[in-house]
Amino acid sequence: MRIFLKIVILLAAGIAAAWGQNQAYRAPRSFDGHPDLNGIWQALNTANWDLQDHSQAAGTMWETGAIGAIPPGQGVVEGGAIPYLPAALEKKKKNFANRRTDDPEAKCYMPGVPRANYMPYPFQIVQSPQGILFVYEYASANRLVNMGKPEEAGSDTWMGTNNGHWEGETLVVDVTGLNGLAWFDRAGDFASDKLHVVERYTRVDPYHLNYEATIEDPSVFSKPWKINMLLYKVADKNAQLLDFKCVEFAEQLLYGQYTKK
Amino acid sequence: MNLRVLISLGAWAAWAAAQSYTPPKTPWGDPDLQGIWPGNMGVPMQRPLSMGDRTALTDEEYAQRVAQAQRAAAADNEERAPQDARVGIGPPSYWTERGKPTRQASMIIDPPDGRIPALTPEAQKRRKEARGGLGDPAEWAGKADTYEDLNLYYRCITRGVTGSIIPVVYNNGNQILQIPGYVVIRNEMIHETRVIPLDGRPHVSPKIREYMGDSRGHWEGNTLVIETTNFTDKTSIGSNGVGYNGEGGRHSNGLRLMERLTRVDDHTLHYQVTIDDPATWTKPWTLLIPLKRDDHYQMAEYACHEGNYAMKDILRGARAEEAEKP
Repeated sequence: MRIFLKIVILLAAGIAAAWGQNQAYRAPRSFDGHPDLNGIWQALNTANWDLQDHSQAAGTMWETGAIGAIPPGQGVVEGGAIPYLPAALEKKKKNFANRRTDDPEAKCYMPGVPRANYMPYPFQIVQSPQGILFVYEYASANRLVNMGKPEEAGSDTWMGTNNGHWEGETLVVDVTGLNGLAWFDRAGDFASDKLHVVERYTRVDPYHLNYEATIEDPSVFSKPWKINMLLYKVADKNAQLLDFKCVEFAEQLLYGQYTKK
Repeated sequence: MNLRVLISLGAWAAWAAAQSYTPPKTPWGDPDLQGIWPGNMGVPMQRPLSMGDRTALTDEEYAQRVAQAQRAAAADNEERAPQDARVGIGPPSYWTERGKPTRQASMIIDPPDGRIPALTPEAQKRRKEARGGLGDPAEWAGKADTYEDLNLYYRCITRGVTGSIIPVVYNNGNQILQIPGYVVIRNEMIHETRVIPLDGRPHVSPKIREYMGDSRGHWEGNTLVIETTNFTDKTSIGSNGVGYNGEGGRHSNGLRLMERLTRVDDHTLHYQVTIDDPATWTKPWTLLIPLKRDDHYQMAEYACHEGNYAMKDILRGARAEEAEKP
């Protein structure tokens, strides 16, 4: 009898433990009953320097000393490597060589998707009845995710045509109509205007949002590939986005050669 | 100041209209201002001096305004520009949004004469001495030694808070979104977003200066009141640098804006803003811009800087001109 009781207790404990492990975090609910993604978020990785594994390295200008150096980082690409087609890989290498002047970030151009989400600046999610708005501090970029009937992309844009839906606890955003002019990082990773990105946002605890993006572009990559990272909630009491209108920091780079000498 | 707002006719009109209309509520109980509210207004900023304190057009004046708008629309649809047309960098005129004429005499509803108040002596001096006597950066045709000779709009940096909402020739979209604790105002040109907290938190430190300022909102009945401070001294009230219709518009970094947004019916949002900058104008002034809801309006991605070929070409043109001179 006591043995039987022990077995029952052990079984119950085991079931409880298994249940606990499988029980996903249940995020607070928004007005619409879906997980509440509102808040200011920011990546804490080095994906904006290079999506793939990379060692520390010198920056492009010795004048900026250690400040301009590339911090080391572990990659966020599933499987490790971006599956470039051979010609595209050559272009990526050229981009890297010319990154000081050619990286759209240096020019203060809109960051595109997915790069906007892992730049070293915060962004705010506004989950409203009008749709889910992503407001980025960098370059005042933004994109509104349409949660209604999916809309077909019109003309190509930097931030794309964004259609969203919920799959349980996950917000899925399908991004098309991207102009392919944005890069993925300062290492020169890129795509074309055939780019199609499917993003998945899942709250995993009160302070973390799992971010996954599937990247597809048959003219640049041999197969679709995925990035995966955590986004961190900026939880300071006074947190808010500020102006980072960087155009004026890029004007000398872009127009300096045309000014009166 | 409060007395001024109370007695201002426009404010009274908005107040009176709002009394008979109860806006819908968001699921969490705030007045619901959400939607797309493009600027579409064929009304001048300032009132002709001859009209005095009169705030509405007579039938005859209104008929004239409508006829003028029709003539402009006809000219916009011409396939070719007239031979003597000034060469500009604007798009073909069939792109332009002229705005719907109304009987409102002027956007300015206070002071009662509908005119921008006089500049303070300090501001007159500042304006005269700007750029060694050249004045604030305005039209590109003036001087183009460097990009800094062009205004912030030509440089695709910003049009500021008021410049982003005062109706102009195109891309006048505005959208309001709400979540618990915040109201968000998007302006299509130049892709501005203000995320405005409603929780009563203090402004950021006065050491932080922002082109779009630091906004804090609260509800007064069904009216959203937004106070914005922490501006730079680089933007202007109108979108085009120096000001509006040739009048001075550049403010100091002491500018304080009070915006009041009130839905007066299902399709109309009264946007009212009081411009208070004692270092620039001798008294505060107030604009009333009734915005009409348009659920079918599509907000474009106004990638201004990314496509700013004009800047390069203006500077190159100026260099080419210099090279031709003996």
